[in-house]
Amino acid sequence: MSARALTFRAAALILLVAFITAPQLFAFVFKPLTVNDAPAIYNHGSLLALTLSHLRTVFLATLASTVLAVGLGIFVTRPSGSEFLPLSRSLVSIGQTFPPVAVLAIAVPLVGFGEKPTFIALFLYGLLPIFENTLAGLSEVPPQALEAAKGMGMNARQRLLQVELPLALPVILAGIRLSVIIGLGTATIGSTVAAKGLGEVIIAGLQSNNVAFVLQGGLVVALLAVLIHDGMGIAERAVARRLGRPVDEVA
Amino acid sequence: MIEIEHLTKRYGETIVVDDVSLRVEEGTIAVVVGTSGAGKSTLLRMINRLVEPSSGRVLIDGRDTLSIPEDELRHRIGYVIQAYGLFPHRTVSQNIATVPRLLGWDRKKIAARVDELLDLFQLDPGEFAEKFPHELSGGQQQRVGVARALAAKPAVLLMDEPFGALDPVIRSKAQDDLLAIQRRLGATIVLVTHDMNEAFHLGDRIAVMDQARLLQYAAPAELLTHPAEPFVEQLTGTAERPFRLLSLTRVKEALEPGNAEGEALVLSTTLHDALARLIALGKDALPVIDASGKAVGRITVERILAHGRLPA
Repeated sequence: MSARALTFRAAALILLVAFITAPQLFAFVFKPLTVNDAPAIYNHGSLLALTLSHLRTVFLATLASTVLAVGLGIFVTRPSGSEFLPLSRSLVSIGQTFPPVAVLAIAVPLVGFGEKPTFIALFLYGLLPIFENTLAGLSEVPPQALEAAKGMGMNARQRLLQVELPLALPVILAGIRLSVIIGLGTATIGSTVAAKGLGEVIIAGLQSNNVAFVLQGGLVVALLAVLIHDGMGIAERAVARRLGRPVDEVA
Repeated sequence: MIEIEHLTKRYGETIVVDDVSLRVEEGTIAVVVGTSGAGKSTLLRMINRLVEPSSGRVLIDGRDTLSIPEDELRHRIGYVIQAYGLFPHRTVSQNIATVPRLLGWDRKKIAARVDELLDLFQLDPGEFAEKFPHELSGGQQQRVGVARALAAKPAVLLMDEPFGALDPVIRSKAQDDLLAIQRRLGATIVLVTHDMNEAFHLGDRIAVMDQARLLQYAAPAELLTHPAEPFVEQLTGTAERPFRLLSLTRVKEALEPGNAEGEALVLSTTLHDALARLIALGKDALPVIDASGKAVGRITVERILAHGRLPA
């Protein structure tokens, strides 16, 4: 990464941290966007608390998606599980096609208002990218390396842990990154069912016709997404390097 | 020693290996040759049970391989494949250490063994130990592949077209290196190839396979002088046979007493190369010296030609 790109990201990070910890400092920027003397900065809760709770929901949902999707991806690529590949693919795809808003609508009567329905919606929505990338990563493992591993007497478990997963890791990580980014944006709708998150700011703005609120919520989510996307990209490249692969091979 | 007894592999109706029996003596190289689809690789892969035989059995040092758990068996058998199958995410030394690590050797012993092998294969440990496979040339990858297979001092080494991916110049060097290492370690090797020159160059005995059957298993010279079937004769190259035979015989065996004028040949020269010198120099005879440089006799065109004669 060039020095300029690095400076740019550092600046974005500082801006984000400053804004969510001391939003009043930026009141002058948002004031012109308000009408009728409405507040320029969201005042029904701390932006910091909302951001942390937003991140927490996304983190937990992606973690759960990762465990299930990677586990399922490994299972259906084993000889004993290959029959379940088409079924798993359809199930995971349904998770992606089903709109998160609809999931919320169904989940609320079952689990009540709050973080839980949001968690379920994000979890289902995040499965597909991780599952597909796990499949892609595992299928890209060079067959000769597997043949050699088997020929040297590695058992199925050793082949998985020592050869297949390490080689598939960069691709799996890319899938996780995609899920996190999708989740960050999607989590905002959780606020319609009373989940604590940045969606609250946006919805409050929409309800009170306050553009400043909408913009604040949107900006924080966008900055989070950009920074997390970059951070995870750097981590992926570091992993790929440690795995001895030329960096440019990992898109 | 490897004893293969009535080994057969069937996939449904198709027979891939048909009742093959052969024995590879301790410390020798057996080369399996044949056209593609002849069943060579399947035969090889039945030795380490990557393919389970339909019938028949394989004994290694007298023990039935079916009585040894699969993975344990493979720990004791080195295996080299055409594209080497080096682990791209592991360094050269980690690759070589694969089987010792599976066997739970302690770290010191593994490190010492890795250095020993790198030296043996002329790869400077300081330069190569920490490199990744993609940073190596084809020839270097090939050497790492063989070093990895030899790491846990296996009783037997199986090689499936180990030189197939190398260009001709590096290939013949790699073959010479393998021979030198095999002599040094006294390893028992079964090598599969479709390259007849390679077979004659490396094999103590050659097994010719065609359409799942073993046609002949014999020393290279016998394959040339007494081919069991027309196909063997065809595969060894009908026109090439006298020349191949001369390549297998050394000056020592055609030596006659007496003197001759001109540049001396050493006893270990092949008759093929000796004849080439005689033709090039336009001579009928050349003097022969032993390794210490002492004159021991002479070699004549006539004697060489007699050695290339095939029985009618």
